Amino acid sequence: MRRMPLKESLFLGFCAVFILVFRAIFRLHLHIPGHAMFFTVFFLFIARASVNRLPAATFTGMLAGLGALVLGIGKAGPILFAKFMLPGLVIDLCALLIPGLFQSTIFCLVVAALAGSTKFLDTWVMDWLIGMDRKVMLQHALFESGTAMLFGLVAGLFVVPVFRKLRSHGIIPGKSGIPDSSQSVQPENQSTSKEKQG
Amino acid sequence: MFLIDSKNQQKDYQIRKASKVSLSRYGRSTVWVWFVVALVLSFFAFGAKTPVALTWLSGGDIVLFAVHRPGHRFIRRMFKVVCWQVGLIVTLYCLRFGVAEGLLSGLTTSWQLCLAFLPGAIFIETVPEHLITRMLTDVMPSRSAFVLATCLNFIPMVLAEAKSIYEGQVLRGARILPKDLANPGNWAEMLNCLVVPMMIHSMKLAQEIALAAKARDFGKKRGRTAWPGESDS
Repeated sequence: MRRMPLKESLFLGFCAVFILVFRAIFRLHLHIPGHAMFFTVFFLFIARASVNRLPAATFTGMLAGLGALVLGIGKAGPILFAKFMLPGLVIDLCALLIPGLFQSTIFCLVVAALAGSTKFLDTWVMDWLIGMDRKVMLQHALFESGTAMLFGLVAGLFVVPVFRKLRSHGIIPGKSGIPDSSQSVQPENQSTSKEKQG
Repeated sequence: MFLIDSKNQQKDYQIRKASKVSLSRYGRSTVWVWFVVALVLSFFAFGAKTPVALTWLSGGDIVLFAVHRPGHRFIRRMFKVVCWQVGLIVTLYCLRFGVAEGLLSGLTTSWQLCLAFLPGAIFIETVPEHLITRMLTDVMPSRSAFVLATCLNFIPMVLAEAKSIYEGQVLRGARILPKDLANPGNWAEMLNCLVVPMMIHSMKLAQEIALAAKARDFGKKRGRTAWPGESDS
């Protein structure tokens, strides 16, 4: 597999930063459980759409997890990475399986709900490690993942319009709807040769 | 919103800075030691089932708290989180087992859950960002470490850009004020007016940084490299 160009990696890094920044800003104003999943799912979708490579969303999730560790955002303890990486993994796998995912609102909604539902696993694992009662554990995980799925769904609703807008600005080129990575991000050596020519 | 946030962030930063002074004089190895201590305390919380074991662990957390001395803001934030978790878990336990039995077991489980995430939260809150980033570079591939460090360093710039875009859009009449955002119907406007320009700006920024790094021979050699003249300390 070809190594990801630095420009793409940095863009994914900025998507991770946006996840953290928006979570931090809106934590002050909204006190609804699970609302942070809106920004996580939305920016992971945009990261995967902009950089059409298999681990793009997972890599963004990993960077967001590390960033959360550095900046002190999130309260998942030792499974903080899973909280960000699992939705990314779901989006990556679905983008691989569903061609034209970012053009279909229905597919985006389904995948966003699936990505939001990964909160069930985080909560369940944490509660299982604690040794909580099985039924309470299930109820707790269902409540947490239910709200996360709801906000994930809302994020999925906005993916297609924003995807189209970014494509019209040239951030995500490709007429087929499946972003072409060879077009979407200009290789660094090409840009430098242009600089030299200029 | 950004004006209010920048004031809050400034205040938060000053408090965090004051609370982080105690650790900033220590080196990399000390940070690793505290990280391991926090991790061990967290993992022990998963195994502690009896009130005696939980009391011992709470003692450990209090020592950690006394050494690191996080600010009042952190205490207030953690108090909210703990209240929410305790409330939810105790309610679920009471519904399952009845008030008499559920209250005690619910409180014990909540206590355990709080002890699982508190050491990590104290560590993250009190250790300076650059020391945590440096610690991560010890275990991460150099390229990923560079990406993470660069993006974290550019947060103030990204925030400043976001603020100027936000103010411009508000002046143009965009419904993205805090009171407007309470209505989810306006979130689409927030994405179109704020997020899309920020994504475009970040793509340009990523291109410029990548070009600057390439001009400094970044990525020519495997492993971590530094531009001549820049100290490693």
